[in-house]
Amino acid sequence: MREQMDAVATARDTKYFTERYGLSPADADHDLLLRMIEDMFFDGLVTEVEPFPETDREFGKLLDILRPLSADELRQKLVISGWLLEPYGPDRMRCQECMYYLVHRRWCDLPELNLPAKPDWWCRLWRI
Amino acid sequence: MANLLWLQGGACSGNTMSFLNAEEPSACDLVTDFGINILWQPSLGLELGENVKTILKKCISGEIKLDIFVFEGSVVNAPNGTGEWNRFCGRPMKEWVKELSEAADFVVAIGDCATYGGIPAMAPNPTESVGLQFLKRAKGGSLGTNFKAKSGLPVINIPGCPAHPDWVTQILVAVATGRAGDLTLDEFHRPKTFFSSFTQTGCTRNMHFAYKVSTTAFGQRKGCLFYDLGCRGPMTHSPCNRILWNRHSSKTRAGMPCLGCTEPEFPFFDLNPGTVFKTQTMMGVPKDMPTGVDKVGYIKLTAAAKGMAPKWAEEDIFVV
Repeated sequence: MREQMDAVATARDTKYFTERYGLSPADADHDLLLRMIEDMFFDGLVTEVEPFPETDREFGKLLDILRPLSADELRQKLVISGWLLEPYGPDRMRCQECMYYLVHRRWCDLPELNLPAKPDWWCRLWRI
Repeated sequence: MANLLWLQGGACSGNTMSFLNAEEPSACDLVTDFGINILWQPSLGLELGENVKTILKKCISGEIKLDIFVFEGSVVNAPNGTGEWNRFCGRPMKEWVKELSEAADFVVAIGDCATYGGIPAMAPNPTESVGLQFLKRAKGGSLGTNFKAKSGLPVINIPGCPAHPDWVTQILVAVATGRAGDLTLDEFHRPKTFFSSFTQTGCTRNMHFAYKVSTTAFGQRKGCLFYDLGCRGPMTHSPCNRILWNRHSSKTRAGMPCLGCTEPEFPFFDLNPGTVFKTQTMMGVPKDMPTGVDKVGYIKLTAAAKGMAPKWAEEDIFVV
């Protein structure tokens, strides 16, 4: 039942992206993906910023949820990873200092996300 | 001529296999060029049964001078401290170890099990295993803190899982040729000549470490293995990237994170699920920092390094 609901949601998302941008996230290039992400937040997307995975076990659980998601399931990836378009916390953590961030490619190299990102963005999978 | 006797306790024979692969000098060179007489070794000795026992007894009595006693594997004390789970030549191995160590001029522990207990001594340690003079970081082990061989040296520890063959043969040659006085040992009795630098010293991924670019999945040739895949190279003392394995590579060069097998705590975190091949973090910051680096310094260094990282650091520069 849950799988069927997920499949319906994914199909709905793919249709949404294709109608709005002419491409789904899986086929979008770097700039278009950035636009898709920003547009979702401007449209009011709320992500699961808390709780921050304090230990590797908690971190691993989030990766386990993210791993089976396809490239088209962009919305779910952002929600589960707690994606934000701004630095987070008193230490102003941001992608720029994250170990997974490739500063020249402007890309999150964490295989479970594998998405473009801007230096001042952040997600709860941040690690230094 | 220096007489050498080699026994195995709670062992997988990995260090014997490593020893037989030595090249500089080789196991044969020890005999032909450096005057080492191998009295008996589990994989090389021709004697069986009572004949082995006779050799051991003669070493203990002094009828045969025992210059070097080499031990591989943990000293097994189970059950209940008796050592009966590891019997050899009619008695618990631990008893042979004690008497042969007292009779020898030099005692050399080879591999992580003989030095610090290794994998057999991992919790809950059902075999009650210990190393010759340590149990993990704690001094004591099977022979006790104050043990010294007849030469005046404590047990010489050559850790590793296995120990590199050349570490073994070079130390044996040094001892056999009267240059043991040149050996200086660190607090865990490791020869400083091999164990002062880090596994990271000489690693081909050092530039990625410097620019804070991470390997994020196995098979990638870009990036450093420390940040995400649990590599212990920056805090492990070994010359694995100076004295290469098979003369041309190392774990980290081949993309395999260092597991820290030359450190007393190996295997780290008792191999709990999720601790192997994954850098352990707390709030996103590594729990174990590179040796000598504190958390504040690490964060500042990361920010500066990532800000200055060149473009090539993010690419696989080994592809032509």
